[in-house]
Amino acid sequence: MTFAVEAEGLVKHFHAKGRGGGTVEAVRGVDLQVRAGEVFGFLGPNGAGKSTTVKMLTTLMTITSGTARVAGVDVAAEPDRARTHIGVALQEVGLDARQTGRELLVLQSLLFGSNRSTAQGRAQELLELVDLVASADRMIKGYSGGMKRRLDLASALVHEPDVLFLDEPTTGLDPASRLTVWEEVRRINARGTTIFLTTQYLEEADQLCDRLAIIDGGLIVREGTPAELKAELKARVGGHSTPTLDDVFLDATGRTRERGAGEVQEVSS
Amino acid sequence: MNATWLLARRAIRESIRTPEATLPTLAIPLFFLAVNVGQAARVFPTETTPFLHGQSYAAFQLPSSLLLAASFGSAAIYLVEDIERGYFDKLRATPIPRSAIVLGRLLAGMVTALLIAVLMVLVSLPFGIHVEGGVAGFVVLIALMAAWTLVFSGFMQLIALKSRSAAATQSGSIVFFPLLFLTPGFVPRELLTRPMEIAASCNPVTYVMEAMRSVILEGFVAAPLLRGFAVLAVLLAITFCLNIRLVRRYD
Repeated sequence: MTFAVEAEGLVKHFHAKGRGGGTVEAVRGVDLQVRAGEVFGFLGPNGAGKSTTVKMLTTLMTITSGTARVAGVDVAAEPDRARTHIGVALQEVGLDARQTGRELLVLQSLLFGSNRSTAQGRAQELLELVDLVASADRMIKGYSGGMKRRLDLASALVHEPDVLFLDEPTTGLDPASRLTVWEEVRRINARGTTIFLTTQYLEEADQLCDRLAIIDGGLIVREGTPAELKAELKARVGGHSTPTLDDVFLDATGRTRERGAGEVQEVSS
Repeated sequence: MNATWLLARRAIRESIRTPEATLPTLAIPLFFLAVNVGQAARVFPTETTPFLHGQSYAAFQLPSSLLLAASFGSAAIYLVEDIERGYFDKLRATPIPRSAIVLGRLLAGMVTALLIAVLMVLVSLPFGIHVEGGVAGFVVLIALMAAWTLVFSGFMQLIALKSRSAAATQSGSIVFFPLLFLTPGFVPRELLTRPMEIAASCNPVTYVMEAMRSVILEGFVAAPLLRGFAVLAVLLAITFCLNIRLVRRYD
């Protein structure tokens, strides 16, 4: 079976800056298998290695050791070919505020090899998809946070990627904008695109993801469907009520609600 | 369409949309030209100053102002903005050669500098400056300035890529002071004090300035032009190679 995303023993070390120096082990051996067509959630506390893993899978960061394939293409051996299969919207919205929404999408499409008329057609199609037609010819610097996030999503889709990586796509958005992004994600997934989603919001993972993995300290500590993970916790710990995904997360990362309230933003949603 | 050209067009559009960033590149060098000429022109009258070759002191000063205009490094400031705002990663996620990201910026910076150079020379003409080398000399003058723009912007882009910080990149432009002031900016090299002459002789900008000045004052003189272009060729090769190496290794 060919997986949309497949990682084996993925490791990333950084050289620490400052007087002490040394090596920081951000990711310590991640194994992942994401099936084509699913929405896969990747959860973890701040600094657990989520964004680093996403950057390695999307060719934006070198891999210290291990292998990763996206849509069957080795991201380290053939990064350019891998990029044609990958769409990516990172945690920081990657937009050029001095272009209009339409200009940005046309340029992005041209950079993926489309000719100008195809790029213009694709830009219009995507503007309609993310409901930004009315603002398409305005400078991006005038867009709201939610509009920027939707445009960023659209720009990751110009080349109709097989796998869309979304790194915390709703962080910092108001509840209404968050719901709009969820709708977009569902719509994109319904067209056949595999979604690899990192999030700090467990409710989001519960709502959107077919399967998920929890990473902590650079290692995968839980993996399965939300229902499987809850059932596994209930079977192991017992109790009358069904555990929530919050409980699964806290159990997996060894955190408590008391610590979580003050220290771990993930559990407060 | 070529990715470098696509990104250069986008960067040119960006410059047009930020006139507040581009206008000082024209205004400040013209201001320095006026001030420097105002302060020293009477010390160096045309009739009794051999190194002016019959032209005004403004003609002698013009290369300094052109080089100043070419040393703002705006391309690097825009690049580091892209890095800080995440758009740089968006571009890195496309299947274009990584080199196109930095070369596109440099190409746009060069086009902007060419326009500024043309404007500056045109503004200077009514003040008695003429280019002895004629139209061909004018083209050579602009080419020298364009090449220096690429070198300086390329150097600044190295700081941007390495530091990924707008503050550090801005600070890096401080190198512009020794580069532009340890030169024979006010008098020819042979009239400088010995320590200053040594410093100016070690400074590559001196040779670019002397090449530009020779075209304006004397027409086509082989030695300074060859030295100027040779220095620029070496510096261009170094900055281009380092830019490409850094952007390819960007992690």
